[in-house]
Parts: sequence; C-alpha cells; structure tokens
Amino acid sequence: MPKNGNVERRTILKAAGASAVALGLAATAGCGGDSGAGDGNVTLRYAWWGGEPRTIAIKKTIALFEKKYPKIKIKPEFTDYAAFWEKFQTQASGGNPPDVFQNAVGFLRKYDKRGVLMDLKTQADAGNLSLEDFRNGVLANGQVDGKQIGIPVGANTMALVIDLKAFEKAGVEAKFGWTWDEYFDALQTIQDKLKIAGDTGYFTIMYLYDLYLRQNGKAFFTDTDLGFTEDDLTLWWEDGYKRVKSGLVADPKKIEQVAPKSGLSAGLAASEFTWDNFSIRYEGEGESDYGLAPIPTTDGKDTGQYLGSLMLSAFSGTKHPKEVAQFIDFMVHDPEVGKIMGYDRGILATTEQYAAFKPTDPNNKGVSAYEDEVAKAGVLGKITPHPSGADVIEAAFLRIGGEIAQGKTKPADGAKALFGEAKAAFAG
Amino acid sequence: MTLVKEAPVRPAGKRSAAPAPGRHGRRRENLAGYLFMSPWIAGFLLLTAGPMIASLYYAFTSYNLFTPPQWVGLDNFTTMFQDPRWQKSVEVTLKYVVVATPLKLLLALGVALLLAQKRRGQALYRAAFYMPSLIGASVSVGFVWRALFSDDAVVDRTQKVFGLDVGGWIGNPDYVLYALVALSIWQFGAPMVIFLAGLKQVPRELYEAAEVDGAGPFRRFWNITLPMISPVLFFNVLLESIHAFQVFGSAYVVSDTRCGPADATLVYTCYLYQKGFKEAQMGFASAMAWTLVIAVALVTAVLFWSQKKWVHYEEAAK
Repeated sequence: MPKNGNVERRTILKAAGASAVALGLAATAGCGGDSGAGDGNVTLRYAWWGGEPRTIAIKKTIALFEKKYPKIKIKPEFTDYAAFWEKFQTQASGGNPPDVFQNAVGFLRKYDKRGVLMDLKTQADAGNLSLEDFRNGVLANGQVDGKQIGIPVGANTMALVIDLKAFEKAGVEAKFGWTWDEYFDALQTIQDKLKIAGDTGYFTIMYLYDLYLRQNGKAFFTDTDLGFTEDDLTLWWEDGYKRVKSGLVADPKKIEQVAPKSGLSAGLAASEFTWDNFSIRYEGEGESDYGLAPIPTTDGKDTGQYLGSLMLSAFSGTKHPKEVAQFIDFMVHDPEVGKIMGYDRGILATTEQYAAFKPTDPNNKGVSAYEDEVAKAGVLGKITPHPSGADVIEAAFLRIGGEIAQGKTKPADGAKALFGEAKAAFAG
Repeated sequence: MTLVKEAPVRPAGKRSAAPAPGRHGRRRENLAGYLFMSPWIAGFLLLTAGPMIASLYYAFTSYNLFTPPQWVGLDNFTTMFQDPRWQKSVEVTLKYVVVATPLKLLLALGVALLLAQKRRGQALYRAAFYMPSLIGASVSVGFVWRALFSDDAVVDRTQKVFGLDVGGWIGNPDYVLYALVALSIWQFGAPMVIFLAGLKQVPRELYEAAEVDGAGPFRRFWNITLPMISPVLFFNVLLESIHAFQVFGSAYVVSDTRCGPADATLVYTCYLYQKGFKEAQMGFASAMAWTLVIAVALVTAVLFWSQKKWVHYEEAAK
C-alpha cells in the first residue's frame, strides 16, 4: 500500500484485469483434462486402494499394459480403503468416477443401484474381454441380477492369523475343525502361560460374525435385510465383552493406540481374524512368526467360509468402453501380470495367472496352502448377498463393537443401535 | 456489504485537488470498484452463497447424492434430535468448547501480560509463543499429538512418574477429548497477539495514578487492565468460541479418522462429515450444518447481549 493511501488507478485496473484473466483461466481449466485427443490416443483413469506393495506392483503391470497397447494411457489414482470410497462416492455422484476401479462385494449392489457400474457382459460378447478360465466359480462373485458388474482379480477367504511362537510356547495347537470352545480354551492357556491376550477383538468383525451365522444356518445379510435378530447379536456381543473383561481379548484401549499397526503384530494378543491375503502385513509389522490357522467351528466341521473377491469394475458412462474392457482383460488374464501381482489381492482368479505365479516366499506359500486345505475340506460355501448399504453397516458394526469393548455401550443397546442404523443404510 | 459502498470513496487528501465527482464519475468509480472486487464476488457467489442456499434446501430433503433430492419437510430435524449419536456429538462439542476456550484465553492473557513488559529478546519470545498458532491446524501436528499422548509415550511416561497411569489418552474414551483440548490450548498464540495489542493501548498514566493511590499489582490488573482490555477480551471470547464449535481437523486426525474411540471425539462437524461423505445422507448433513449455524448465531447473540454487563468501551465512559 502506498503511504498516501491513494492507489494508482492504473494499478487497480491492472490488478482487476489480472484477476479477471485468472478467473477465466480457472474456468477453462475446469473443463479441460479430458481424455482422447484427436490422434487416436486414449487415456483411462484407473483407481484402487491398498498398501504400498500393491501400488508398486500395479504400477509395473500398468507399464506392461501400456507397452502392449501404446495408444492407451493409464492414469493411476490410489489411496487407502476408507478414503477411496469417500472419494469414489463424491466422484461418482458428480458423474466423474474413474474409468476402471478396484471393487469389492460389499459395494456391488450399492453402485449398481445408482447406475454407476457397467455390465461387462456386453463387452465380453463383443470380444473385448474374456470371461473364460476363472477358477473355482469366483466369476459369480461379480454378478448381480444376471449382470457381470465386477471381474474378480483374486479369491480370498477369512482366516485366523496366529502368532506361531506364542502358540508353540503355550503348547497349544490350532486344528482343522476345532470348535469355538476349543479355540477359547487355547486362548485361555496362552493367557495363563504367557500373560498376553488371546485375540485382538474378534466380535467387532462383521465378516467373522457372518461366518459364525453361516455355521448356524443363517447369514449376515439377506437380499434386502439383515439375516439375524437383535437377540442373536446381543448374545454375540455379550460373550465378546465378557472376554474383554477377563483379559482373553486384548484391552481395546491398547489396540486403538497401536493403530494403524495390528494388535497381533504389536504383541498385544496371539491371534486375529482377517482376510488371508492380508496376512502379509504381520511379517512386516511384527517381530514374531505368523501363520494361518483354521476358523473355529460350531459343529466340528463347517467353518462357514466362502471365497470372496476383489475385482475390477468399470464406469457405465466411460467414453471408452472397448479400451476399458481390453484393459480389464489384460489385467485378469495376462500371465506376466499374475507373476507381478502374486497373491496380494487373493489367490489369482484365472487359470492363466494362477499357473504363471509360483509362490516362493513363506507367506504366499502359506496363503496357497491354506486355501488348498480349505477347499479340500469341502467346507467352502457360496457367497451370500451384500445388499446396498452393506458398507455402511460394516463400519457401524466395527464402531459399535468398539464401544461395547470399551464398556461404553451395553451389548443390547448396541444391537438395537445397529438395527436402527441398518434400516437407514438399506433405505439410502 | 458496506465494503462495496466504501470502496470508491476518494481519500480525503485528494478531494481538494480534484473537483468532487459528479454523478457520472461516481458511477464509473463504482464500476471500477465492482470490477476490482469481481474475483471475490464471483468466489463468494459460486463457492459460498450458492452452496449455502443449496444446502438450506437439502436440509429439508432426503438426498443420497445420486438420486434427485426428495422433499421430506422437517423429517431430518426430527430424526436428528432423536438420534443418540447426534446427541453425543452435541455433548462432545459443548464439552470441548466450554473447557478449551476459557483455558486457552486464560493462558493467552497470562503470557501476553508477561510479554507486554519490556525485556531482552522480546521479539523472539513473541514469535516463539505465536508459532504453534501457525502450524497447530496442520495434519502433521495431529499425528505428532497422537504420538505424544499414546500409550507409553512422553505424556504417559511423565504421568507414570506421578503415579497417574491411564495407559495413554488416545485409546481411552474418558481422556482422549482432553488431548484435543490440549492441542487447542497450545495454539494460544493468535489470541495472545490480540491481547498484547490491547495491553499496549492501556494508558500508562492510569497505572501511575493507581500506584500513587497505593494499588497493588492485583488491583491494578483487576481495576485497570481488565476493564481497559475488555473489548479485546470480548472479541477473543467470541472468535475462539465460534472457532471451537467448528473444530474438525484435530479430532479427525488425532483419532485416526474415526472420531473415537467409542465416539469420544465425535465432535459435531465430525459426525456431519460421516453422515455426509461416508453415509451419503446429504439432507441430514445439511440439516445438521444449519442447526450448527443457528446454534452459533444464538451463542453469538447471547455474548453480544452480555456485553453491556462486562465490556467497557471508552466512549461509554465519557
């Protein structure tokens, strides 16, 4: 500001002009950035969630694709799971989601209902994408109401990850077909002998409760609703809270504070339920040795397990459906891609990729052996529906379970709250 | 809007040299004024006023971002008032405002009083105390805070020395909010600077007169300093409480984006964010936002009303 308080008129006009220009520029920039220049080149946006190893691997596969299809450029977008879906929801509602993106069972119906997902069967019929050679019927995981809205890249299943050293030291063993009672007895022995908790908080995991329900002839979801009663859930959470108080399940305060590290790798407990393809994290995070163990059963046989999938989906409104289909085809069938990705997103879904990747490290070998064993036991069931709103309910289940673990909410009140929130989520 | 009217008025010094602008000239100057402001006006209309009006409409609709909004009247508000999580978020926010604001202002005033006295390295002290205000809202400080107050970290270990073991504040629903309060207090620099400016305005002769009359330091503070800086105090109380009502970033980052554990740091805006961006209930979220606007306006009104009881303006004294 000049001292006499009088700004030169010319300066004002210049400034005003400059800001007007800047505004105009910003406005044009907002419309720009679209794909497909006149030279036949096409740019596709490809988005996924996951850790750093996944991102490094996927970027290698993208480079491979671009070499084979020089006219198609891929623009990667990646983040962690929670942020991914927040961002995706906003983008999709604005009509601007990525052309291709990683997807999971819990989101299929939600985004199908909202018209975001492309039926890839039409592209398969046009010969741009092969729906052949998928293993163990996992292709069905991407089907909703006769439409193929997701193409599985891998198959995974819930598993129990245990601290091998702790189990050995306590002299307990995880056996196929063991019951919940036997499992909790083993945890009790660990607690008595090693003075650490047995589990990190099993009762807050929706997908584990699903297995328990399936063992008892129910499932977490039906096509449009919850597949259990408030009393069922109250009982499940009451048992869980009892075990927190007795120290069999680790103190949630401690678990909370080691996040994003797992309570298992932090040495707070000797076991944790999670998806088998996530088991790689524990070796990196923790100091012990970790291995996959069978899911406890109700009747001594049925674990309730099924094969889930991460998949690739496409935006229904993409300007380049053919290229999108070619890209997905390459990503799920190309053997080189299989070699690069390994079992990061589950056991490779197609026979070509499965045959191309021979696991050499103990973790991938373990995952492979685990799913072989589960398949051999003949306990694998079919995946049950995930209605629209399943994602919101999963988050609510985890949150309310956490409140119960902390002793801040009574199990019965928590169950009531979950049913209330589920009603709103299904309606949304 | 007063700005618009004032902008084209010529500085007094210039007026004698140039003839007073006629009607025509005035209009041209108005135009230049508006032109000069056009970026701000455009930004205001497009990015603030427009979305606000839209959200006022959404507050009375059910809107999931994908299907067109459905008019539901007051449903969002009635659902909201009965929603236990909404009630919890109000409780958490009020607790935060009521605890954090006074403590922060107390510390700001205390340090301002110390720094108002002439001493060596004064500028350095002021800069050092002001610094946290600049970086306190950043995400990285949120992470640092999480680390500081976790189990077996600095704060926890220090506490243990005194036999106060709570196993870390971050994982404990009874303590975690106070970690956020501490973060807020730590950023006392901004109100401190304003207090400093206020303290400089207090005429020295008042103190001298009081000293001659035998008033001790406490009386001088209570009877001179406090009334003289009460307008500044009022300004700080107003600004800091409005600020505290809108706390989001620290709660979101310190709780590792979950606003927990057990909803213990579920501040109002955090719940609003979850409803809007995680659950896509934009109608409900808009209703929440407008309720907050009205609540803050009410608090502001009450503060303004209370002014005449405790804020001392010099004009009024004359």
